[in-house]
Amino acid sequence: MALRLSTSLLSQLSRVGRLQGRAVSTSAVRYVDDLTVKQVEPKDTKSILASEEVQHQKAISGYITIDTPVDITPISGVPEEHIKTRRVVIKLPSKNAMQWRLFFDERERWENPLMGWSSTADPLSNIQVDFSSQEDAIAFCDKNGWEWTVVDPPVKPPRVKNYGANFSWNKRTRRSTK
Amino acid sequence: MLRIGASRLLQHGGRHAAVVSAARTQSSAPDKIEVFIDDMPVMVPPGTTVLQAAAQAGVEIPRFCYHERLSVAGNCRMCLVEVEKSVKPVAACAMPVMKGWRIKTDSEMTRKAREGDQSMAFGSDRSRFLENKRAVEDKNIGPLVKTIMTRCIHCTRCVRFATEIAGVEDLGTTGRGTNMEIGTYVEKMLLSELSGNVIDLCPVGALTSKPYAFTARPWEIRRTDSVDVMDAVGSNIVVNHRTGEVLRILPQVNEDINEEWLSDKSRFAYDGLKRQRLVYPMVKDSDGELRPCEWEDALIVAAKALKAADGSVAAIAGGLADAEALVALKDLVFPDAGTGTDLRSSYLLNTKIVGVEEADMIVFVGANPRFEAPLFNTRVRKAWTYNELHAAMIGPDVNLTYDCEHLGDDASIIGKLLDGSHPFSQRLTAAKRPMIVVGTSLLARPDGDVLYAQLLQLSQKLRSSCEGGSEWRVFNILHRVASQVAALDLGYTPGVADIRNNPPKVLYLMGADEGAITREDLPKDTLVIYQGHHGDQGAEMADVVLPGAAYTEKTATYVNMEGRAQQTQAALVPPGMAREDWKIIRALSEIVDTRLPYDKLNDIRNRLAEVSPNLTRYGDVEEANYFAQATALAEMVSGKKGAAPIDVPQKKLEDFYMTNSITRASPTMAKCIAAVKKEAANKYIE
Amino acid sequence: MASRLARSTVRQVKPLLSIDQGEARKRVLNLYKAWYRQIPYIVVDYDLPKSKEQCRQKLREEFEKHRHVQDIRTVDMLVIKGQMELKETVEIWKQKHGLMAYWRDSVEPRPKDFLSKFLDGHE
Repeated sequence: MALRLSTSLLSQLSRVGRLQGRAVSTSAVRYVDDLTVKQVEPKDTKSILASEEVQHQKAISGYITIDTPVDITPISGVPEEHIKTRRVVIKLPSKNAMQWRLFFDERERWENPLMGWSSTADPLSNIQVDFSSQEDAIAFCDKNGWEWTVVDPPVKPPRVKNYGANFSWNKRTRRSTK
Repeated sequence: MLRIGASRLLQHGGRHAAVVSAARTQSSAPDKIEVFIDDMPVMVPPGTTVLQAAAQAGVEIPRFCYHERLSVAGNCRMCLVEVEKSVKPVAACAMPVMKGWRIKTDSEMTRKAREGDQSMAFGSDRSRFLENKRAVEDKNIGPLVKTIMTRCIHCTRCVRFATEIAGVEDLGTTGRGTNMEIGTYVEKMLLSELSGNVIDLCPVGALTSKPYAFTARPWEIRRTDSVDVMDAVGSNIVVNHRTGEVLRILPQVNEDINEEWLSDKSRFAYDGLKRQRLVYPMVKDSDGELRPCEWEDALIVAAKALKAADGSVAAIAGGLADAEALVALKDLVFPDAGTGTDLRSSYLLNTKIVGVEEADMIVFVGANPRFEAPLFNTRVRKAWTYNELHAAMIGPDVNLTYDCEHLGDDASIIGKLLDGSHPFSQRLTAAKRPMIVVGTSLLARPDGDVLYAQLLQLSQKLRSSCEGGSEWRVFNILHRVASQVAALDLGYTPGVADIRNNPPKVLYLMGADEGAITREDLPKDTLVIYQGHHGDQGAEMADVVLPGAAYTEKTATYVNMEGRAQQTQAALVPPGMAREDWKIIRALSEIVDTRLPYDKLNDIRNRLAEVSPNLTRYGDVEEANYFAQATALAEMVSGKKGAAPIDVPQKKLEDFYMTNSITRASPTMAKCIAAVKKEAANKYIE
Repeated sequence: MASRLARSTVRQVKPLLSIDQGEARKRVLNLYKAWYRQIPYIVVDYDLPKSKEQCRQKLREEFEKHRHVQDIRTVDMLVIKGQMELKETVEIWKQKHGLMAYWRDSVEPRPKDFLSKFLDGHE
């Protein structure tokens, strides 16, 4: 059956995958009959490749320039109803937190009638991702197609504390007893 | 679209933050001194304590008794640290730093000093009862706070909170050393509307929440940040929930609103969310009984009536209605009505809640802030304690927990203050930054508009002469319910006199449960539609009941008394067949054939922004400054003043607990009222 | 959507398989052709109660679903996933119902408009 599939695409894919040593496709598997025999790799891969293939190999190991928005929603595996309808709040979770965290809107939960376990149909309910910067969090939400809002961290005013104020004779800060 | 809203939020947040910090740093001394925390140099203003300087360097010194919002006690000795060239260790929380001090927070001496604390190293780990095993009897201090006094380490945080912030001298200590105990001296209840905060303050769990005790473990809980709607303060809260049930509500820090406190009603009324709920739509049958039905049936009955009424429709919004529902209802029932009935500055708490800390004179007129807005009252008390604020009251002589000059309850005092013939006038005009805080019950009086006009004029007069200048706002309204400001922003008018005078064919009650209109006020053929979450007075008189969502079940906008828009986040889904409120109206509109043009939350928020842009600028207060115009309008008002004395609806602590349909359904609130009433019979209390 | 487009900027990224749009497009077409040619065998091998034409229509639908995708890397990843799917199908690692799931015959369609969603309890 594999013979029927000998289209240019398949061979191309498997070659690229093998040459790059990346697990990009299951079709990059090579079938070996006898595992005890040591497989001989071609000594110089470049010598057997055409010049355009060498060029492609070089290009793929570098960077490409794109100007399109990043949108991973078709490949993220998240159901569509959890992309278009979800809202995310990005904020610092508590007083001393250093990481920005995503907070998804809550979906329905119910109690298992037999065991009393908590159930939900929400695939995102247990997601907890922290980011070192607000921009990273925003970019992550953007490429996943979630609507986001950022809540700025609160500003803490300086407070003057004074033990002596407990004993001042003409101020209302005087404390009688405890 | 929210993206734009979000970026706007960012901008505003930034600008707002800058304003706050600018205002706060004015008073701090210019020169800073250098100290060394574990050899790390830090620059701090003089007067900073060792503990604060260490915090600035990122070193957290352990402490039990120190709390940043309470006075310094210095009695737990946990924060003892070594200071170079000092013979003894010093208490970091109480000692101000001196120039060039080298503080060692992890030295041998520091560690030894910490171990002196008896809770860390004392007694045998085998239970042989060789030492005197200290045990303290638990005390009953009311239905909210449970005590496990053996755990108490005498940090006196609760005592300091009660006396300094709640302003009740109920808690104190008896005995010394090992025999020291925290308590109420005689068996009595902790009579405060803020008592729940001692639970959060207690570092060891000697004071815990009675309703929450043994219901859940913290790791089972999910937390959703939200906003409280029990009063118009808009306190920030964290709703703790598990499997569709609210287990407890805790405060969230917001320096501009509630600091880190929460009133007992907001904290403990959550059990009302499980009781008396409307879970399916209902329609009255031929016997006059409300029968459960499908959504379709209820919507069709309501739509038919709305169509047949041919414009003779009225709507009343209750205190818990959110802005989304309010705008949808307005668009459905009064599509042609204008927006905004009033100048915004005429119905806001214009100085803002933080602004109280700058005031030096506050005059309450027909308002009892202690029970109408407890967390506003703590701000006033804070200013009274630290800034020598002078408070005065026109109205009944109620206990506000701080000294308040009682000017009387005669309505003519306002006129006398305006023309300067009252003895208090001199003091009032001499004030640098005066505030006049008007209660909403005053405006509901028959002669409310006359008094209101006089107060506006008085405020404008004070404002033009006071030192605060044009930046300072004198006139303030103290709202009692969460929906009020948003409703006024959207063009709702206060009062139900119109409905009483011309009864409509269809009356739409949007969570209106306070009995402003009763069945007796309406002709027999008026159809009453009630939409809301609790079976209360509104549902009782309704012909059609549409079950809505409570504030923990919807992502909705509420505007607090300052005019600050905030959003609740849905922690649960509405129970049974109940739905989010604006969606009910949206669905109804389609059946009435006037389809409202919003299907998603963002759509309706765009509509909100269209009507009043401030409604979607979350977290921000939009400046409002139309006092000159308002005063000009006020001068045109004329009418007769009534002779009735100025009164407030909530005078005593028992009046505080039940003010809306959620609290009326709450067993905890009922227990509180019973306990407070019983306490009145306590022979130890005068 | 407009605001989202406005946010995208020109930047350097690591490529997956293709270094430009043209190459990515070529890969998509190759995959499409591979599937197209394989369909007659698939119908027979799996004994599908669908005709070749119906299968080819479905194939087109599945590709059209992602017509809007612009990011080269996303296109590449979709090609990789499509390739895996093809491999699984051809090797008969799948079962009949797995292929029939493309037609979603047994799935109750969810209400689309606001009122039906509301009455259905999804809104």
